[in-house]
Amino acid sequence: MKWKFDSQHILKSKITWAVVAELLILLVCLIIRPEFFEISYQESTGMLYGSIIDILNRSSEITIIALGMTLVIALAGTDLSVGAVVALSGAIGLKLMRWDMSEYPTAGNYSVTPLIWVFLVALGICFLFGCFNGLMVSRFGLQPIIATLVLMVAGRGVAQIITNGRQMTTNFAPFKFISQGSVLFLPMPIIITAVIFILMVLLTRKTSFGMFVEAVGINPRASRVSGLRSSLIIFSAYAITGLLAGISGLIYASRIGQNDSNNAGINYEMDAILAVVIGGTSMSGGKFSLAGTVMGSIIIRTIITFVYYFGVAAEAIMAFKALIVLVVIVLQAEPVREFISKRRKARKTAIRGELHG
Amino acid sequence: MPDKRILEMKGIEIQFPGVKALDKVDFDLIAGEVHALLGENGAGKSTLIKCLTGVHHMDAGKIIYDGKEITPTSPQAAINMGISTVFQEINLCQNLTVAENIFVGRLPMKRRHRIDWKGINNRASELLKRFNIHIDVTRPLDYFSTGIQQMVSIARAVDIKAKILILDEPTSSLDENEVERLFDVVRELKKSGMGIIFITHFLDQAFVISDRLTVLRNGRLVGDFYARNISKIELVRQMIGKDMEQIFALKRPTVAADATNMLDVESLGIASKVADVSFTLKTGELIGFAGLLGSGRTETAEMIFGVTRAEHGTIKIHDREVRIHSPLDAINQQMAFCPEDRKRDGIIGDLSVRENISLVVQSRRGIFNPMSIKEQAELADQYIQLLGIATPDAEKKVGELSGGNQQKVILARWMATQPDLLILDEPTRGIDVGAKAEIQRLMLKMCAEGVSVIFISSELDEILRCANRVIVMRDRCKAGELPGESSRQEDILHVIAEGTATGEEA
Ligand SMILES: Nc1ncnc2c1ncn2[C@@H]1O[C@H](COP(=O)(O)OP(=O)(O)OP(=O)(O)O)[C@@H](O)[C@H]1O
Ligand SMILES: [Mg+2]
Repeated sequence: MKWKFDSQHILKSKITWAVVAELLILLVCLIIRPEFFEISYQESTGMLYGSIIDILNRSSEITIIALGMTLVIALAGTDLSVGAVVALSGAIGLKLMRWDMSEYPTAGNYSVTPLIWVFLVALGICFLFGCFNGLMVSRFGLQPIIATLVLMVAGRGVAQIITNGRQMTTNFAPFKFISQGSVLFLPMPIIITAVIFILMVLLTRKTSFGMFVEAVGINPRASRVSGLRSSLIIFSAYAITGLLAGISGLIYASRIGQNDSNNAGINYEMDAILAVVIGGTSMSGGKFSLAGTVMGSIIIRTIITFVYYFGVAAEAIMAFKALIVLVVIVLQAEPVREFISKRRKARKTAIRGELHG
Repeated sequence: MPDKRILEMKGIEIQFPGVKALDKVDFDLIAGEVHALLGENGAGKSTLIKCLTGVHHMDAGKIIYDGKEITPTSPQAAINMGISTVFQEINLCQNLTVAENIFVGRLPMKRRHRIDWKGINNRASELLKRFNIHIDVTRPLDYFSTGIQQMVSIARAVDIKAKILILDEPTSSLDENEVERLFDVVRELKKSGMGIIFITHFLDQAFVISDRLTVLRNGRLVGDFYARNISKIELVRQMIGKDMEQIFALKRPTVAADATNMLDVESLGIASKVADVSFTLKTGELIGFAGLLGSGRTETAEMIFGVTRAEHGTIKIHDREVRIHSPLDAINQQMAFCPEDRKRDGIIGDLSVRENISLVVQSRRGIFNPMSIKEQAELADQYIQLLGIATPDAEKKVGELSGGNQQKVILARWMATQPDLLILDEPTRGIDVGAKAEIQRLMLKMCAEGVSVIFISSELDEILRCANRVIVMRDRCKAGELPGESSRQEDILHVIAEGTATGEEA
């Protein structure tokens, strides 16, 4: 009886399916090419290398955004502007570091503005963009897709204006450190993601923010009657997401060593939404799982790495992603889930029947 | 008339995680009879219906309909077979018009796949006229009150050509006139040979309309009785295993002579909704609000609690004027408000019983002062005990509880805040007799501890049993005020009908 209850619980848990999917993909890799799992240590950089590390490392830009997006989606919204904010963040960062670009057009190993200000200003502006989204949705009651579409379109424009449409490059070591450096043998992006993940878990589960987000996402009217400040809660979710997209944008800019208003963060909004949905948070709002989201992001990256690693044409990545979207959405659809649980039930009764009969 | 069985359900069993909802239940229905299905909250009434309509799958048992064994797969399939249902929770689309709601899924077509909108609207208003409801059917449904919405869902079910009509607590939001009209229609349908299953907690109604009564308790069949052979007292004993006299021994609150004013409402109103309501409420006093649906009772409560903002008028608490612009303001003034429409304003279906009960206490404490899971669980368990909420544990999703138990969870949510002023809008809706008495007892006990209560109810007997004073609302304004002790139902009905009170004080 006890075990049965637990198995029910595990089957229902949102993260279970995501973990199972990830393990399945890895199993396929293991069968085809065991070297996929090799991890090596390099003295010169003091860092671990290997496909697995690479997956974690490269998934972090999406993971960071998706953590914020989880709250937005749990509140039955979406934020389409995050990709544009990634571009914006990089543009602001590079502009502040290379204010002198017109005089010294080479990639320099220095920053004009102290790095701390580069970070604070870039992130501050991204946070304000998030606040703008939040205001549009919570105060003015715009539909989230429409409200965030505004900045999705405008964000890259602003980035172009800030940089006068130019690409600026940098080799400034402290700035490169946030994408290339390492702490405790692990690449910095993994460390940053881990820290943000822990902070988000603390924010949502050690305060009552998480419960309030879920309540507002499930039944906004009842939440208001119960004294929740739903507009404040909705506002914060978008603001947080803007800030996180800014962080992700700085990592991106650091990784490629330049700003790129046209290509930075392209499709990040889609990947982030996909990660959240694979992680088991429903687009119609309600219960969410941050761990599920991390898992979802890792799955997406695993598939991309898999495709590269086995030399499949890069163009095929889109098709692969489409495939996961399809599988996830079909699995989450009400009729399918009902079908699965009915089958389980039918099988159990059949077994019980045999025992008795 | 020969007994023609149109439906036989035999040995139905349904197991939910942690609860056996139905345990070898038999049920049958004869063409041309009204068969009431009775039992406490969580007895399994709705589950039996959902099993017949394919919402839930039975683990064991057989359903024979019209001479053939069937396995229903979905409510739509059931409709196609001739089984039409009004579910307990209103199941309509709030943003569609009334007419669209009535015909959704079976829109009449003109030639070449064009929808006949004019025909739809005409037919919808005709249909509602049969229930004596005259409204603009092209308005979206959420424009109308819960009572009208309930009537719309009944009209929809009745319009479907069916052999069996199932009504799961259809009268919970209806006033007496509307119930009478519904019964007229039911009698008509009965004459035409339809079999009708009627679930209710209003025993009087069950006696008025039904031929047979089947009683369930804890998922088991207690028995079926002919309505003419059983008394109400006996029926209650069958349902809950206790005597009625015993459970309804209640004492009206006594208000101390020197009691201070708890609440002072002065010409509160919104031009389009309620005109200037004024009244005072003393500490420890219980005021009943009576009136027809849409008479402005709920609107008044919502203004006091800040759900809607009053356009004019003042609210004083302990003789100090306060501004209440949102429910949060009201909660901070130690008010609590158990709303009328539990699905829309009450339950947060996907959250657990524990979370639902702690929600308001938590929102008052603020985001950064969270209750631990343990504290929440203790609070929840305390109220699960106190109100007798039927749930395997506090972690069950509220959406999976029976209707009456959901109502108790909402009540628990507000009682847990230990308010000074408790506003209850139809708190006993959908609650079984035993629990109803229990809730009234709790309400009176809170009064005795110094809580002031505003009690809105459509059941005059329960208002008269509990209230110190009764305010009667009519046509969106206060029509009169009667003493609770010495008034009779007829006095209230008189005010509702005529708009004047004999014993008016205010
Ligand atoms: N979807 C569900 N999942 C799990 N348990 C359920 C579900 N629906 C009902 N139950 C459980 O089955 C039992 C019977 O519920 P049911 O809704 O049939 O009661 P009811 O007789 O209609 O009560 P009420 O008068 O309160 O509406 C309850 O204990 C309830 O918690
Ligand atoms: Mg029910």
